[in-house]
Amino acid sequence: MSQFLQPTILLLREGTDTSQGRAQIVSNINAVQAVADVVKSTLGPRGMDKMIQTGPKVTISNDGATILNLLEVVHPAARVLVDIAKSQDDEVGDGTTSTTLLAAELLKEAKPFIEEGIHPQIVIQGYRKALELALEKLEGFSINIAKDSAQDKRDTLLKCAQTALNSKLLANTKHFFSELVVSAVEKLDPNILDRDLIGIKNVTGGSVTDSFLVDGVAFKKTFSYAGFEQQPKRFENPKICLLNLELELKSEKENAEIRIEKPEEYQSIVDAEWALIYEKLEIIVKAGAQIVLSKLPIGDLATQYFADRNIFCAGRVTQDDLLRVQKATGGQVQTTVNGLNPETFGTCGLFEEVQVGAERYNLFKNCPQSRTATIVLRGGAEQFIQEAERSLNDAIMIVRRCFKANKIVAGGGAIELEISRFLRHYARSVTGKTQYIVNSYAKALEVIPRTIAENAGLNSIEIMNKLRQKHAQGGEEGRWYGVDINGASGVCDTHSSFVWEPTLVKRNALCSATEAACAILSIDETVKNPKSDQDTKMKPKGQPGRPPMGMRR
Amino acid sequence: MSLAFDDYGRPYIILRDQGQKKRMKGLEAYKSNILAAKAVANTLSSSLGPKGMDKMLVSPDGDVSVTNDGATIVEKMEIQHPTAKLLVELSQSQDAEIGDGTTGVVVLAGKLLEQALTLLDKGIHPLKISDGFDRACDVAIKHLETISEEIDIQANEHEALIQAACTALGSKVVSKRKRELGKIAVTAVLDVADLARRDVNLDLIKIQTKTGGSVEDTRLISGILIDKDMSHPQMPKEVKEAKICLLTCPFEPPKPKTKHNINISSAEDYKKLYLQEQQYFVDMVKLVKDSGANIALCQWGFDDEANHLLLQNELPAVRWVSGTDVELIAMATGARIIPRFQEITPEKLGKAGSVKEVQFGTSNERMLVIENCQCTKAVTILIRGGSQMIVDEAKRSIHDAICVIRNLIKDNRIVYGGGSAELACAIQVLQYADEVSSVEQYAIRSFADALEGIPNCLADNCGLNPITSVAQAKSRQLQENNPRIGIDCMELGTTDMKEQRIYETLSSKKQQIQLATQVVKMILKIDDVIAPDDY
Repeated sequence: MSQFLQPTILLLREGTDTSQGRAQIVSNINAVQAVADVVKSTLGPRGMDKMIQTGPKVTISNDGATILNLLEVVHPAARVLVDIAKSQDDEVGDGTTSTTLLAAELLKEAKPFIEEGIHPQIVIQGYRKALELALEKLEGFSINIAKDSAQDKRDTLLKCAQTALNSKLLANTKHFFSELVVSAVEKLDPNILDRDLIGIKNVTGGSVTDSFLVDGVAFKKTFSYAGFEQQPKRFENPKICLLNLELELKSEKENAEIRIEKPEEYQSIVDAEWALIYEKLEIIVKAGAQIVLSKLPIGDLATQYFADRNIFCAGRVTQDDLLRVQKATGGQVQTTVNGLNPETFGTCGLFEEVQVGAERYNLFKNCPQSRTATIVLRGGAEQFIQEAERSLNDAIMIVRRCFKANKIVAGGGAIELEISRFLRHYARSVTGKTQYIVNSYAKALEVIPRTIAENAGLNSIEIMNKLRQKHAQGGEEGRWYGVDINGASGVCDTHSSFVWEPTLVKRNALCSATEAACAILSIDETVKNPKSDQDTKMKPKGQPGRPPMGMRR
Repeated sequence: MSLAFDDYGRPYIILRDQGQKKRMKGLEAYKSNILAAKAVANTLSSSLGPKGMDKMLVSPDGDVSVTNDGATIVEKMEIQHPTAKLLVELSQSQDAEIGDGTTGVVVLAGKLLEQALTLLDKGIHPLKISDGFDRACDVAIKHLETISEEIDIQANEHEALIQAACTALGSKVVSKRKRELGKIAVTAVLDVADLARRDVNLDLIKIQTKTGGSVEDTRLISGILIDKDMSHPQMPKEVKEAKICLLTCPFEPPKPKTKHNINISSAEDYKKLYLQEQQYFVDMVKLVKDSGANIALCQWGFDDEANHLLLQNELPAVRWVSGTDVELIAMATGARIIPRFQEITPEKLGKAGSVKEVQFGTSNERMLVIENCQCTKAVTILIRGGSQMIVDEAKRSIHDAICVIRNLIKDNRIVYGGGSAELACAIQVLQYADEVSSVEQYAIRSFADALEGIPNCLADNCGLNPITSVAQAKSRQLQENNPRIGIDCMELGTTDMKEQRIYETLSSKKQQIQLATQVVKMILKIDDVIAPDDY
């Protein structure tokens, strides 16, 4: 018997989970599928929201990246999906759900091949080839809008923003918000289009359509000391002094200590301290500032000093807001008042403190060099506004991209179907296994229109047949047929019904989905170490070092 | 969440703590969400209207509050369920934006969800329902604007404002004194309102409560009331033609902010130091006196030595006045806040007709009243009442009334209450529903039913037969083409709300319908709930 008892060779730590081979790939694919299923129902204009509770916080969202992030996926292969959704979010800001779905569908199509014994690398090669062709076609199909007039371009941007907002909570007010978003992006410097310069402020209360755009900066009233209410709250063309300086009566150095030898010196020290702060305040007033903003606190003494001289001040302005004020008003943030001159002051057309909901807001409007904009969002509940903010963020990103790239394709699944048609056609012309694989790729692309139709409660099989038929007719006419969620027939020309998306979004989605699929297909072994904190969990609970109860006798 | 198994029977662990998470999908998710939200709305529905009942809420610390205010009730209920929390926020945002109608908005949302549930059972896609609600909401809002009336807020000694305040106060525990309280609220708001900009800064109205006395003793002080007394019992209790010196520095030798220590090497130095300190006190009092001030209010404290000196110099003083009070006093008396004694000048003093100490009842508590201020920008409403609970509720009620008046100053359009506006909208929406050819028609019709739910609920709370009275009111509205017919809650014999003078602001009604629709739409869009299992 002993010859059967081979000594086991322990290579890895006990508890390590290893799985290998084909089964591993199939298992990974299944895991990815499970995750993609969660976000599937959020796609398209009839997509639903998810409510996820993590601890005391509740998030209601339609945004693929946000949902995946909150799911706390731990499966290593499934995490790849979370990562591509995030990269899509960072890169283009929208299309996160479709990227995830596409990756999962590509894997699903690859599963039978793997099970039949085709080497994963061949599948990967085929997918890469198909991607190359798809991207080429995508460029070919896309419509350039750069040459059109400014008005046309604006229209296009509006359409793209509306498409992005279609699936969100704001869908019913998309015209209102697309206008808001496009106006905000237009305010930015067209060469840089820095996203950070569009501020979004949330104020609960009011209807969503009470949201408004400030062509400048808006921020909530900061913490104020007594005397603040005596300051003027409205200026026209004010001189705005921006500081990163504490204006408070306090010790100059933390660790300094003064030894006072004679009682008479006492007063002089007190006076010296007062002189320091008064000197600073005086310089600011002399320079002619009318509004003083500081990142650091402005104390009660300074507040009252400014109030006496009809100057408005706000301390503890956040970094982002101060930066935006700087950009909008053309001022410069000073870290000292020495050598303060009026040239470093910014200005704006109108400064006002107004009531928005339950809060008071400081508004800087009509800025001369306005390269920044602020959207003040209103809405019924905290979660509503947060979701609205995410949606607007998507729309802003899309418009930004569109601004730069100038190329669009029609949405609603039209472009996917068109590429799919082309790939099927191409597949017939190649020999070898690649034929099957390119065909599968083409089939996988159909997941987008199919899911949109399913989510809208339409008969997806019927719709897909209609769409395939339209596209198969070829030519310009059938090219842009996509899913129509409102009409009776279920299909329509999405280009002429203005469901437009920037080419870049689709391009990035195709690339990252294919890459993710290939990455998962090429993994044939997972070595998962046991969690290092498992050891600590095994220990009996209670105070460390205390002997277990049974030992005390 | 259910576990998935791979081909070898091993479970997948895809999500962290997968076994402890619960997931609800599809119809199950909608229904659970709707039921949770409805439960909240049902709790509130009995508080609606002039005969609405109060709720008694006991906090974890045993504090009891009795209230009729929707926002306060839902806030103190400490709701855990995530969907139900949405309704809490709904009520609070109505509170923040409008201040009144916090119960109505939740009840309306509850009625809408109830209707949505039946529609879901019919198999209508939830987004179709929310589309329909959205369209119906637009129609209702437009109709509200057409039936609204502009009122002249100045006419007849602000009679319209007082009536509106009375409507807001009608449902509260203080309703018996609604006329008096309404007047107080109107005067308070008008005192601080900037009528040119149509802006009212509510921070300038201070509401002070004091138990004892009765609600009738509530009064408006065109000045400020602070919960402090004179620093020395022998100081005069009243100062006429007060010149107030507002100080934000203590009556004590100034301390450098930098860390310091004084080395005293001889007894003479010590004496010198003592004398110097004495001198400081004398100088300070002198500086204040010299400026012509006859009362000093100090944000900080001062020790007995200074107190004694002040008494000797016949300078009444108050210590530990809070920062917000200092600011209010400054606004009202035109004073400038003075950060150190060297800067006291006669121009910086505030002027008031009188500053006097008042005593309440037999208790030894005293408060300081500053009246007839130079520029009355800030006012105080002193609320009295038999018990803490009454006083607290009265405070909330007056806050509601103040908000209503503020809204009328901003936008002087009104609609009539008593459920008449909702009924009129319901009729309009119902008409519109028949013009819609798609599935949304059902949702729009249900929206009208939900709107009718409000007068229904009102009638129910008043002990009337809800169905009969709503049906009567509705038919009369149609027959007479009069959108002002509502529910006669007070049984005054007329259902015309114009005659009953039940005014509500247009902005409040609009906001109610919009906010409720918005939140319902949001709840209907959720088809998947992932939460820890124990929820």
